[in-house]
This record gives sequence, C-alpha cells and structure tokens, in this order.
Amino acid sequence: MLSIKNLHASIDDKAILKGLNLEMKAGEVHAIMGPNGSGKSTLASVLAGKEDYEVTEGEVLYHGKDMLDMAPEERAGEGLFLAFQYPVEIPGVSMVNFMRASLNSIREYRKQEPLSAGQFLKLMREKKEIVNLDDKLLKRAVNEGFSGGEKKRNEIFQMAMLEPSLVLMDETDSGLDIDALRIVSDAVNQFRSKDNAFLVITHYQRLLEYIVPDFVHVLSEGKIVRSGGKELALELEEKGYDWLKEGVGA
Amino acid sequence: MQSTKTKEFIQQFQPQTLPTSLPNEVRELAMSALNILELPTTKWEEWKYSNLRPILKHQFQPANHAEIDNLAAYLIPDFEANVLVFVNGVYSKSLSQIGELEDTVSVTLLSELEGETAAVFSDYYGKITSPEGQIFSALNTAYAAEGVFIHAKGVVERPIHLLHIQHATAAQSVQMRNLFLVEKHAKVKVLESFHSSNDTPSFRNAVTEIFVKENAGLEYVKLQEEGEAGMMVDQTEISQASDSRVKTYTLSMGGNWIRNNLHFHLKGPNTESVLNGLYMLKDNQHVDNHSLVHHFAPNSYSNELYKGILGGKSTAAFRGKIHVHQPAQKTNAYQSNRNILLTDTASVNTKPQLEIYADDVKCSHGATTGRIEEEALFYLRARGVPMEEAQQLLIHAFGAETLDGITMDAVVGYIDQLITARFAGITD
Ligand SMILES: Nc1ncnc2c1ncn2[C@@H]1O[C@H](COP(=O)(O)OP(=O)(O)OP(=O)(O)O)[C@@H](O)[C@H]1O
Ligand SMILES: [Mg+2]
Repeated sequence: MLSIKNLHASIDDKAILKGLNLEMKAGEVHAIMGPNGSGKSTLASVLAGKEDYEVTEGEVLYHGKDMLDMAPEERAGEGLFLAFQYPVEIPGVSMVNFMRASLNSIREYRKQEPLSAGQFLKLMREKKEIVNLDDKLLKRAVNEGFSGGEKKRNEIFQMAMLEPSLVLMDETDSGLDIDALRIVSDAVNQFRSKDNAFLVITHYQRLLEYIVPDFVHVLSEGKIVRSGGKELALELEEKGYDWLKEGVGA
Repeated sequence: MQSTKTKEFIQQFQPQTLPTSLPNEVRELAMSALNILELPTTKWEEWKYSNLRPILKHQFQPANHAEIDNLAAYLIPDFEANVLVFVNGVYSKSLSQIGELEDTVSVTLLSELEGETAAVFSDYYGKITSPEGQIFSALNTAYAAEGVFIHAKGVVERPIHLLHIQHATAAQSVQMRNLFLVEKHAKVKVLESFHSSNDTPSFRNAVTEIFVKENAGLEYVKLQEEGEAGMMVDQTEISQASDSRVKTYTLSMGGNWIRNNLHFHLKGPNTESVLNGLYMLKDNQHVDNHSLVHHFAPNSYSNELYKGILGGKSTAAFRGKIHVHQPAQKTNAYQSNRNILLTDTASVNTKPQLEIYADDVKCSHGATTGRIEEEALFYLRARGVPMEEAQQLLIHAFGAETLDGITMDAVVGYIDQLITARFAGITD
C-alpha cells in the first residue's frame, strides 16, 4: 500500500529525514516511536503534502502511484488521512461546513455524487456516536476552543467520516484521558480492516496495548534505526532510546 | 486665492437646476464655502492615502434621468423591504417597490419636501458639520438635487432599501443627500446599495446625516458594489442621543476608488455604537476608510471592526480615531482593523488612533496585516478540500465576522455569497 524509499526531506536547508525506508501493506498497523525532534511529525507532514518541507531525495509510492507529485487534497482523495499532532483552530468555519466541504470534495475526487443534506447529517450523527463527540462541539467552529482531548477525538471523528485507507496518527494519544484513550482506540479498532493500514506515531507503549501494532519502528535522527514486533515497544519503555544509539554503529 | 484647478473641478458639477424644496440658507453657505475651499492633496494628513488623481483625470457631466430594464439584477433575493430605486441619482417611481409603508415612518424625496415635513427637515438639515472632507460635503450641500428623508417615529418593521444605480453613457456625476431622523424609542433598518450598469466612469458624492434620538435604534448597511470605474466619496455623520443604539456596516465589494468618511457624535450617555466594515479589493481598486468616534458623554460603548482582504494591486487605507472627551467617563471603546493580503502587490496602510481625555475608560485599538493562515489552509487541503475552495472558505470565515449583528437575514445571505464569490478564480 505504502512504499517509502530512501526519503530525504529538509526545511530551510536543514535536513530532517535522512534516508527513511518503510513498507506497509493493507491490513497492517505500524507504530513509530522515537525521541523528540527525531522527525516523526516531519514524516507525517511530508506524507500529507505539507509544502514547507522539501523532499530532496527518495520516493513515496501509494497504491503504486507517486505520491510526492500530488497536492495534499489529491492525497486525501486517494485515501490518505493525517490525524494531526496539533489540530489547528479555524475560527469562522463551522464544523458542519468544514466536514461537508471535506467529504464532498473527496467524493468529487472519487467521482461520487455529493451527499444530500439529509444523508450528510445522518452520517454525522452516526459517526459522532462512535467517538462520543458532544453535539455542542459540532456546532462550533473547527477546533475553536476545543480542549486538547476534544481536538484529538475530533480528528478520529473526521477519520470515521472520511473512511480513509491509510491513516497516519501523530500522537493522537497525547492529551487523552484514560476513558478517551479507550474510546479513540475502540473507534480505530472498529474501523481497522484488511483493506486499510495505520501508521501510529506515539511515545507511549500504553496506546499500543489498545491498538496492537504488527510492527514497531524506532525513528532517530531522521532514519529508522530499529524495527521489530510489538515487544520492541515494551523494551523501549523499559530502556529508553540511548541503548539504540550506541547500537547504531555496531 | 482658490486655485484654478479647484475652480474647474467645482464647475463641472454645477447642475442646470436646483430643487427649490431645500433650505436656501444652508445651500448659500455651502456655495460661499465653495469659493474658498481647496481640493485636498496627499500632503494633507487626512488625505495622504486618497490621491484624487483618478477623479481629476475625468470631466464629469451631472447625470441625467435614465431607465433600466433589468432591475432584478440589483435586487436582493427574498429581501422584504420597501425599495426606492434611483437611476443616475433620479428617483424612479416605476422601478421602486413600496408596498406597505407603516405609519411609524415617512419617506420623502428631497425634491418633494413640503409643509410640516419640510419644516422638520430644515430643523436638522446641515446641522452636523465636520471639517474633514469639507470640499466634498460643501459641494454636495450646494448642488445635491435629490435624496431621501427618512423619518422614523416608531418601530419600523419593514426595512428600507435605497438602491442606487449608475447608468452612464459618458463620464457622469451624481450628488445625493440623505437625512435620517429616528425619533425617541423608534427603530429602523436601512440598506443602501450602490451599483453600476456598466464600466463607464462615474463619480458619486454622497452625504448622509443621521440623528438618532433618545432610546432609538438604527441599523444601517452600506453596500458599495459599483463597477470597475465607479468612484465615490461618502460622508456619513451620525449623532446619537442618550440610550440610543446604532450599527453601521460599510461594505466595499466593488468600485474603483472609494473614500468613506464616517463620523459618530455620541452626545448622550449610555449609547451603543457598532462600526463594522469590510473591503474586498481586486485589481487596482482603492478604498480609504476614515472614521471618527466622538465620545462626548459618559457610559457609552463603541466597537469598531474593519476587515480587509486585498488581492491584485489593490490598495486600502484605514484611519480610525476614537476621541474620548473629558466628561465621557466609563467609556468603553474598541477599535480593530485586520487585513489579509493575497498578493505581494496589494498594500494597506492602517492607523488606529486613540485620543483620551477622560481617566476612567476602557479603550483598546489594534491593527494586523497578514496572509491567509497557512496552517489552516493545509488542514483543509489535508481533508481533501481543493486549494481554491479552501481559500474561499477561509476568506469567508475572516470576512463574514463583520456582518455580525445585521438582522436583515436576506441581506446577510446575499453578502455572504458575495464574500465567497469575490475571489473565485484566484490561485496565487
Ligand atoms: N518549520 C520548521 N522549521 C525549523 N525546524 C523545524 C521545523 N519543523 C520541524 N523542525 C525541526 O525538525 C526536527 C524534527 O521535528 P519533528 O516535529 O518532526 O519531531 P518529532 O519527532 O515529531 O518530535 P516530537 O516527539 O517532539 O513530536 C526538530 O528538530 C524540529 O525542530
Ligand atoms: Mg511530533
């Protein structure tokens, strides 16, 4: 589904990703862990198409198509979804209008008819239940004045609405209370299927107890320095990252 | 000695006939002022950003009566209002749509003032003077031939729409004059919209004087939607008595060159004033908004929010001054001007100002000029919304805030669409 080869990316001439390789197949969940500043969010942003980053080398194929050539909205149309680490507030754009614009744009990209107002509202009602999102939030402007946890749940609500095939979750667990963590994980697990894949960026092993990954990768200084099964997360929790750095040259 | 340039400028506006219904002394004063006043230049502080060159390069003829046959193009869908239509500054009885005029209001053309109404009118006409923009208001007072006297005596339910169309075949000028008198406890809503049927150069010099009495309310929306060669100087003077509420909305969505002077005179205590403005400019458009709020009495509230979105090589200026006089204790006065530049070639010059002579007040002012929020744009695009639509959503979100408080829903709906459509086709 996703194939990243030798990806190099920089911002303002500062290299951040330095030769990253990753292969993901449909049905898989990959976790990415790594120290602060190692490039995890950068990877997510580059994949989503943020123009601030310059890709200097490498390729990214998504369903066999060159993804780096696509505009962010095209990537979304192709089925990519990024749950942001810091979702932005957009004053003046209501959640309803935002969601309708988003869903219908993606449908248009896929040459599907737009949803009628009735169908759309029904879908909103259905999906908001899944993440237990308060009605009042949906009446407000996008993320405006949402608490940290509400913003994260809103991201997962949007995922449920758009039904992407590749989901990048950038620290969706940070800022969630214990109940919300369970709700969000349940929503993800419910949505998981053999046709979609997840790339879960997290600092905490706890999330991975709920959303059990097939692979765990450690990103350090712009490269994946270690990959393993879900046990790797436990080992990291115990030992930290330093032992890996020492091991890089060995 | 008045310069020849100014003399010639004034001369072109001299009409053939003047209505006998307007008070003569006021006109004569204005005419003698016209013998000495000078045209402002950009060396004058107040006119630094309103270069008159685009106006001076034309020779305008006073406009003549004309008819148009596509009024629907200018009407606001589903807006239930009494509509007075003026084509080239001349009232069109056949186009106007005056259904049921409530007995709480009288609406009289200046050319038809007589009897009791004329007497009330003269008590107020020309009574608010303001040094700024003198030559244009003097010109208007001297030569204006038509306009509307709205006299609200109670609560007026049905809004009044003054609809102006420039329908020119050669460069023409229109001078119009309004007077709104809102009596104690009365309430009225007015939309005044300005359009052109084509891109022939036109110049409009408008003056509106407004008196809002004790505990009365006015909602006044000015929608400037003239064509690519529409030039306009607007002077609006508002006097508020105690406990009155006034909301003005100055929305510049078209036109080539606009100078708006908006002055509030808050004479009684406990007044509320909202001054909102929006300008969405393209190509070589220029809009200069000057506002001045005089707080003369205690316990009053004024809130000013002007927003601009500028594309192309457009230019805008904002000069807002809040003047809190010594007796105006417990004044709450806020002022903000925010701008988004869509191109490197657009520019805005903004200067909010406070002048405070009372010690117990809450005042703030601020100005910002920036770009479309990149983070918000990316968020929308990452959710599949194409670039252009995402920009439109953000532009709308930014601009529509200035419509807050307009209670004429159909008008809000119409302007909402104008805001969204204004920059359709931009992709930076
Ligand atoms: N816009 C930017 N300008 C300059 N440096 C940047 C920019 N964005 C990211 N960086 C730098 O790139 C590096 C990687 O940042 P990134 O956000 O990808 O880290 P991360 O692995 O997600 O960290 P965290 O765990 O703290 O979220 C950091 O050193 C960061 O300071
Ligand atoms: Mg990060």
